[in-house]
Amino acid sequence: MCPPEHFGVLYEINPWMHREVTVDLDRAGDQWSALVATLIEAGATVELLEPQPGLPDLVFTANAGTLNNGNYVASRFRHPYRQPEVDHDVAWFTDHGYNVAALPEGIGHEGAGDALPFRGVFLSGYRSRSDAGAHGPLSALLGAPVRPIELIDPRLYHLDLTFCPLDDRRALVAPSAWDRYGRKVVEALVPEPLVLDDDEMLAFCGNSVVVGRTVVMPSCTPRVGRQLELWGFDVVVVDIDEFLKAGGGCRCLTLALDVALGPTGPASGRSGAATEGAPPPSSETGAAR
Amino acid sequence: MSSAEVVEVEGHIIDSLILAKVLDVILDAGADYRLLDVEIGRTNVDPSRARLEVSAADDDALAAVVAQLQIHGANRVAQVDAVTEAADVDGVLPEGFYATTNLPTQIRMGGHWVEVDNPEMDCALVVRPDGRARTVPMHRVRAGDPVIVGRDGVRVAPLQRPRGASPFEFMSSEVSSEKPKEQLVARVADRIRAAKAGGGKVLAVCGPAVIHTGAGPDVADLVRAGVIDVLFAGNGFATHDIESNVLGTSLGVPLGDGLPPEGGHSNHLRVINEVRRRGSIAAAVADGYITGGVMFECVQHGVPFVLGGSVRDDGPLPDVLTDVVEAVDAMRVELPGVAVALMLASTLHAIATGNVLPAGVETYCVDINQAVVTKLADRGSHQALGIVTDVGLFLSTLARHLVP
Repeated sequence: MCPPEHFGVLYEINPWMHREVTVDLDRAGDQWSALVATLIEAGATVELLEPQPGLPDLVFTANAGTLNNGNYVASRFRHPYRQPEVDHDVAWFTDHGYNVAALPEGIGHEGAGDALPFRGVFLSGYRSRSDAGAHGPLSALLGAPVRPIELIDPRLYHLDLTFCPLDDRRALVAPSAWDRYGRKVVEALVPEPLVLDDDEMLAFCGNSVVVGRTVVMPSCTPRVGRQLELWGFDVVVVDIDEFLKAGGGCRCLTLALDVALGPTGPASGRSGAATEGAPPPSSETGAAR
Repeated sequence: MSSAEVVEVEGHIIDSLILAKVLDVILDAGADYRLLDVEIGRTNVDPSRARLEVSAADDDALAAVVAQLQIHGANRVAQVDAVTEAADVDGVLPEGFYATTNLPTQIRMGGHWVEVDNPEMDCALVVRPDGRARTVPMHRVRAGDPVIVGRDGVRVAPLQRPRGASPFEFMSSEVSSEKPKEQLVARVADRIRAAKAGGGKVLAVCGPAVIHTGAGPDVADLVRAGVIDVLFAGNGFATHDIESNVLGTSLGVPLGDGLPPEGGHSNHLRVINEVRRRGSIAAAVADGYITGGVMFECVQHGVPFVLGGSVRDDGPLPDVLTDVVEAVDAMRVELPGVAVALMLASTLHAIATGNVLPAGVETYCVDINQAVVTKLADRGSHQALGIVTDVGLFLSTLARHLVP
């Protein structure tokens, strides 16, 4: 995670961003700290990336890259505003001993925001920000299958606004954000989906972080909360509305470092943000280290 | 003609339904595809790969589809310009020259695909100063001509896949002597009408059996009625046509009662001799020596004909081109605009014609000998229908359908 010292809405690259909206930096700082505390309480370890002036979206570390088994594939951002983030991300992962790799020139992909592991494969969103052509190279670099899903609603510009793995069988899904092929692919992959309606989807219910059996959400309707509790999850709703001004929720503010999908074996069942599973590249475990 | 481009899509294209989506996108856009190859990954980490040729009605439609496909990760396969090498000797091609097919062909020059003017098989491609290319038979190449070598920057468009109930559907290239002929001929007549309505020309390639079987008057009727626009034949066909009209015999056999008269075997020689005396068939018509028949109607109605000679010809008639290379060149001149070719009981001239026809020309091969029909249909003519039947019966039926 990255503290929001330099966060702000300085440009508009998604339908949620409006430059005339002012971010209350103190409030943003408090909300971010509360999120960190919630994640740690749920069992996560949090590692920090140094904030940088002029890079307001560096707080959204979900877009720092895609990870699997100690391999890190750097993002390649579509918008020039975010492109300078990459050097800082790469430096962090290099310093922390990851195998750092880059996608071929000219192919864009915005990291874990558009690539979520579930049952042995990565689902990868494309069209708004990431290129469909990234999924082949990404698969080779991550050593896991990648299935692209076309995002058809510009308001839901990253896959992590529409899909959230909960455990090895369940996930929050927002099918109306995908084309019919994407819906079929997810339908075939997820045994027990919890389908979000349009209001829930646009309230960023899907942009949640799962640590063990705790689901940390930017918002939750009673219907979704009841179902999650029925499945044995603890639901924690955190207030992060300062970040919603930039079109980002809880998930966007975190990057799971402990993704460990087996290369060919049966579904590992590990959702990206879950604490359970194989040891991460270094000795620590935790969702959002 | 359509435009085509090769695109490649790679990754987990099966599980993610990307391949299915790409194919659907192509069809939904009204374009078409041909799967060139598909490699399926062996494990679930191995990527799969598909290469497909996308074809659309024109360059703009193609560019639109390709742009759409790029969104889904299907990218154009990197393309390069065609490579040329100057011919060093007249009539000799550079080593490694590109040998043509009779399919619509395009070459890439300066980053753009341009149509080759006159598709013809077994030729070379010569780039003209304006950047376009034409097919050139080996003997016509001149020292210094830029000839395309290798396969880079050359692409061949498949013939449009017929959609649904195409009128051409019945043409399966299958040769059978056991098909109902009357219906088949009626459909050929329909196709000829359709081609003519579209401004296409009809070429008839006739062997002497057309005259021997008594179908000369039917062909003459088809010429007079404006159905046949171009005629290719040899010395034999023209000679027996004239003989039958001047002397009433074909190779000495009276077409009326079929009983050979004394000395009939020399009839055709006498006819040839008289035409040679007059200098040409047209002169013999003008002179009143020839007063009817196929050649007469061709002259009267300005229908161009090419008579190609052979080593066994008697005479020959003065119009016969005895230099075979010159004869084929003369045939090439008449081909532009031809939409339907009727190969009528002719083996050698029909094969020679098949060699110079573009693949898109609808070709009907009529012969009593199944082997001839098969041979013609197999010579690379894509839209060829073989009809095994007596050419006389075929032509009288066809004339009944087409001559008012």
